[in-house]
Amino acid sequence: MRMRWRRWGFALIPAAAGLVVASLVTQVPTLTNPVIYVRVDVGTAAQITGLALSILAAIGLVLWEWPGRRCEHRLIRARARAAEERRRFLQRLDHELKNPLTAIRAGLANLANGSAPPAQQDALVSVEAQVVRLSQLTADLRKLAELETRSLERVPVDVAELLQEAVLLAQEQPQAEDRRLTLTLPQAPWPVPDVLGDWDLLFLATYNLLDNALKFTRPGDTVEVRAFEDGAFVAVEVADTGPGIPAEEVPRVWDELYRGQEARGVPGSGLGLALSRAIVERHGGRVTLRSRVGQGTVVALRLPVK
Amino acid sequence: MPPQPKILLVDDEQAITANLSPFLERAGFAVAVAADGEQALRQTSAFEPDLIVLDVLMPRLDGRQVLRRLRGQDDWTPVILLTQVGESTERAMALEEGADDYLNKPFDPHELVARIRAVLRRARSGQPPLTSAPSLACGDLTLDRQARRAYVGAEELRLTPKAIALLEYMMTHPDELLTRDRLLDAVWGWDYPTGTRTVDTRIAELRRVLEDDPAQPRYIETVPGQGYRFVGRVEAAGRGETAP
Repeated sequence: MRMRWRRWGFALIPAAAGLVVASLVTQVPTLTNPVIYVRVDVGTAAQITGLALSILAAIGLVLWEWPGRRCEHRLIRARARAAEERRRFLQRLDHELKNPLTAIRAGLANLANGSAPPAQQDALVSVEAQVVRLSQLTADLRKLAELETRSLERVPVDVAELLQEAVLLAQEQPQAEDRRLTLTLPQAPWPVPDVLGDWDLLFLATYNLLDNALKFTRPGDTVEVRAFEDGAFVAVEVADTGPGIPAEEVPRVWDELYRGQEARGVPGSGLGLALSRAIVERHGGRVTLRSRVGQGTVVALRLPVK
Repeated sequence: MPPQPKILLVDDEQAITANLSPFLERAGFAVAVAADGEQALRQTSAFEPDLIVLDVLMPRLDGRQVLRRLRGQDDWTPVILLTQVGESTERAMALEEGADDYLNKPFDPHELVARIRAVLRRARSGQPPLTSAPSLACGDLTLDRQARRAYVGAEELRLTPKAIALLEYMMTHPDELLTRDRLLDAVWGWDYPTGTRTVDTRIAELRRVLEDDPAQPRYIETVPGQGYRFVGRVEAAGRGETAP
């Protein structure tokens, strides 16, 4: 509301200034009120009027958009704050889980050392597997939180080579056997340029996408990996002909621990995409995901060129 | 029969000490427990442990302060820190402050026993551990840990920062089987499906630069199906003893 009044205030400044000058020349006796005769031809008059109207319109537009832009800035700041709070929460959660998990693992190891009857041994093994899973989850959460602050190695990274390695590793997965996995790298007019970054982390970020694509597609589906130069960025895309992700789930797939409907039956921590995003953003890049149910999904990473 | 090594277990979380000490006893150690840093210092003089397993986050005197005090008194009883903070710089700091090794909570208790045995084997009584030496030497190879540089003779080696960190960890843990998972956890700070390949790539880099033949290793031996082992004899070198 305050904004609107201020805008009106600005709009009234010229009128107020005119009023002040008029009252000065008419009220102060020592000042004469000279008469200005202006003779202009129609052409000039039209030009001046047009210019004045344009200036007015431009000022109007600026004032119109100003509050919107301020809102946007506020929104960006609020989002950053929310992300920061989430990371802190994850860190606290991780700390709170560590001690009980350490105690449970030691306790279980004691029990396993004893001479428990076979039925109990089975139970012990299964409980231990679950505790190990929980431990792994806390470790992953810690790494995610750590990504924000850890120092990054910044060396030239050959994206083409990195993708070739990632595809090779993905091909070792059993799911890769019955899916068509291809890698396309441009050679003309020049190959994909290097990006500056941490090889291991970027490898992890791209491999996660590939791993997801293999996990969430069906036998016979196609998974295409490609990279190309896009202005000051290198874009890496992993596209698949899988079942796709419902529109309402798309904005949330990057969230920590989020598992979509389709993902319920698939093993995984729900941290893969969150990690990829955190890694890419630490490198000054961006991630996007487009999907159509029944047609497939394409995930893209954009990394600034060295 | 040799006497049982004495372990002082320091953690403020009673649930941990109550479960861990019987486990360590069963593994063949004599165990005493302390619940905070001040107790730990008192117990160190009274119990004279061969090794201290020390939690970092504790009330009153935390693990890091206990470690600093011990080392300040020229007490080089081996210490394994149980870190809560996973930050890799934190871990590097722990080693610089004179810890012999560290383990992230939550850990596999069998892994703790393996680490205790390894540190005890490595410990040279009354002397600073390799992990607190500013420089390390193995034959011609020297590693200046502060400057993050490695030399063979007087020639500086061209290594990536990760390869230097990997070499450092291996040289501070000589003759120990280092699994890929452990190297990832210690040097990279994470372990993921992509990790084993990452380790192998850096090991290959080290071997290439060090001209180390995997078939006849002078430095790094492959333990098939398990990991790697630094087989060279490592000695602590003083600050001035590294190559120019």
